Amino acid sequence: MTETASAGPVSGSPAMGGAAQTAPPSVRRRKGRGNRGRSQRATLHRRDPLIGWLFAAPALLGLVVFLAIPIALTLWVSFRDWTGLGSPFDSESVGLDNYRELLTEPGLRRRDFAISLRNTFYYVIIVVPVQTFFAMFLAFLVNQRFLRGRGGFRTLLYFPSVTSSIAITLIWLVLFAQSGIVNRILPFSDINWFDEPNGLVHNLLGVFGVDRAPGWAETEVFELRLWDWLSGPSVALLTIMLLAIWTTSGTMMLIFLGGLQNISRDIEEAAAVDGATWWKRFRYVVLPMLRPQMYLAVTLGVIGTWQVFDQVYASNLGGPQKTTLTPALLVYLQAFDNSQAGLAAATAVILFFIILLFTFLQRRVTGSSDQTP
Amino acid sequence: MNRSHRVSVVVVAALVVTAAACGSDDDATDTAADTAADTAADTAADTAADTAADTAADTAAAPTEGAELRAWGWASSETEDAALTGLLGEYATQSGTAVTFEPQPEYDTALQAALSAGDPPDFFYVDSFKLPDLAAAGALAPVPSGAITDPDDIYPSLQAAFTYDGTWYCPPKDFSTLGLVYDADALAEAGIEPPTTMDELAAAAAALTTDTRTGLVFGPELARAGVFMLANGGYITNDDVTEMTLDTEGNRAALQYLADMFAAGNAAKPSDIEAGWAGEALGKGSAAMVIEGNWIVGFLADNFPDRNWGVVELPEGSAGRGTFAFTVCYGVGTENESDAAWAAVDYLTGPEGAQKWTAAFNVMPARESLADAWLADKPELEPFLNGADYAQPWQFTPGFGDVVTEFNTQFEQLIAGDITVDDLVVSVTEAGESVLG
Repeated sequence: MTETASAGPVSGSPAMGGAAQTAPPSVRRRKGRGNRGRSQRATLHRRDPLIGWLFAAPALLGLVVFLAIPIALTLWVSFRDWTGLGSPFDSESVGLDNYRELLTEPGLRRRDFAISLRNTFYYVIIVVPVQTFFAMFLAFLVNQRFLRGRGGFRTLLYFPSVTSSIAITLIWLVLFAQSGIVNRILPFSDINWFDEPNGLVHNLLGVFGVDRAPGWAETEVFELRLWDWLSGPSVALLTIMLLAIWTTSGTMMLIFLGGLQNISRDIEEAAAVDGATWWKRFRYVVLPMLRPQMYLAVTLGVIGTWQVFDQVYASNLGGPQKTTLTPALLVYLQAFDNSQAGLAAATAVILFFIILLFTFLQRRVTGSSDQTP
Repeated sequence: MNRSHRVSVVVVAALVVTAAACGSDDDATDTAADTAADTAADTAADTAADTAADTAADTAAAPTEGAELRAWGWASSETEDAALTGLLGEYATQSGTAVTFEPQPEYDTALQAALSAGDPPDFFYVDSFKLPDLAAAGALAPVPSGAITDPDDIYPSLQAAFTYDGTWYCPPKDFSTLGLVYDADALAEAGIEPPTTMDELAAAAAALTTDTRTGLVFGPELARAGVFMLANGGYITNDDVTEMTLDTEGNRAALQYLADMFAAGNAAKPSDIEAGWAGEALGKGSAAMVIEGNWIVGFLADNFPDRNWGVVELPEGSAGRGTFAFTVCYGVGTENESDAAWAAVDYLTGPEGAQKWTAAFNVMPARESLADAWLADKPELEPFLNGADYAQPWQFTPGFGDVVTEFNTQFEQLIAGDITVDDLVVSVTEAGESVLG
């Protein structure tokens, strides 16, 4: 059984190896041709890199202008007192003050930042696993050979992903309003979903009669009481999570569908002949072969969720009681509402490092060196 | 499968076309054509500039003749845009200066981008709340002496709202204050006179609250709750916004008064009764009294013409009445300050322009000399105008907006019964002190 299982991932690599092996002959052929007319070809070969750069130039120019320069400017601005209301080159250097205000100085700015981190942390650890497994489930469904009209289902499931997130958010606001459809369908529910600031854990404990923080939870860690850190996402944030899961699952489904269609039917049949049950075939054959797709889906998910902006901007703008405040929204509010573009840039830089850290951790957990792209 | 092949062919074809289009930018012919066009345009512009300069030199009395200006504002109602465009049309015939009004959907973002790119519009709306930020950043040109007709005619408090560090930056176009707007039928039915004191307000709110209607409704924010602190002689900061003054008896009493009213269910925030804002709640009949400003008048007339409403000044607290003044001015950027821009601003905020503008709307003229004529036209709005005497301008210092947001957050918790007045006062004071330094 274990042999069949390990056959899964291994049988994938010959295909890769095969592709790698076809490359050398062509290289050899080119070398051979080059040897025949050396003097003439040499000049062409010298120009090869230049021509290569020339072809890459439009894309490179785009990358430099729209990516490299803005990133460098953001980093530079994060050390300045730029208000965003004039040229950044007229601003003055403030050293590490912006970072200090966000990380080490107790006060409102650090508190807001801590709140946004707490909110987004819950958002990431709930949305990413749920959307990944939900997408995988959907991919399995539409990959079934006996399913009629698979193409239609695929389109339907992918539809939310290609619709404007603002439009979907507005529809969500209507659905989850106090007199909305969701409350009518759910019995005994008259929750004002988008306006409910209490944390889920807080609500759950409330059922058991705990409605005040116990003594130990009053300890403040990085501006917030332990009670606040542990209170869980608010109902309002949960509603936005549902929205995100629903819209992103379609995209993730396509990733998994691609992976599933690459798995040869022979392998599954071979496993079936060996007596593997459906679950065992899934767990030991299919799932290991989906690892690259899993890695991609989780990486994209982690990056996307840490940067969540449009849904919270369109629905609650951080409210109620800052429970849907996210770092990306905080950057926007600092830069455009409060004329503190320097502070906003510093927040963005810290967010960048947080995403880097999480991607690295996640790579450690789900990826292994030989199978990840 | 077949279809997906076709799709990929289309995609590849599109990419090729795009690439070809990008490539053609480098074509020698295109460059030549561009250069020719540029030269032609430059020459034309130069000639035009020369002509304009000549004309200006010739007729010193009309320095703005032939100028073309861009004005920016936020998008409000279509009627408002049309009225402003009409006013600018009249100005164009009078002065020969063509002004195009370009409403911006994301105003703050758009203006900020234009300012940091060094290409702001010739003149633009500036909210009194945003003025300190803009003035401190040096984005606004001070009003040149003599550029604005009879500046002493402008209400001193409004002029002060656009003065930063002793410099006057821009003339107000109009202003609004908060009043107690009520459902006249509901009050008549309950046999209640519009309240004039805080005790009467609490009693009226209790008497007017039914299963489908809440007595008093207002947005849970400092811009509304603050009027109760002002009426008790307190406020969140001192006048210069250098110190937090939240921790006083008057403020605590005002906040407790509101907390009690919300706890009793006689007051509610709009989202609790499924309204986007208090004006909508009043229109729908789910609120009997709301705290709103002049903008509610046009809203009710357009959307709820059958609602029989009235307005009185906000009730008196232990130290008199309190209200906020919200005002917007026309600012001129430092980058491209021009005489033509100031002349246009002078027309719009001067006696003639301001009179026409405020006649078309329910906002109030910023000039004292126009008050009587305005009142004669709209006598029912007198309480709003009376507020001008004691109104607190809605304005702080750069960076203080975060503290206002923190107050709003805490205030929502207070009226939900999650925290006490003491919790709010302590944590907002701490937050404010960390920002004021």
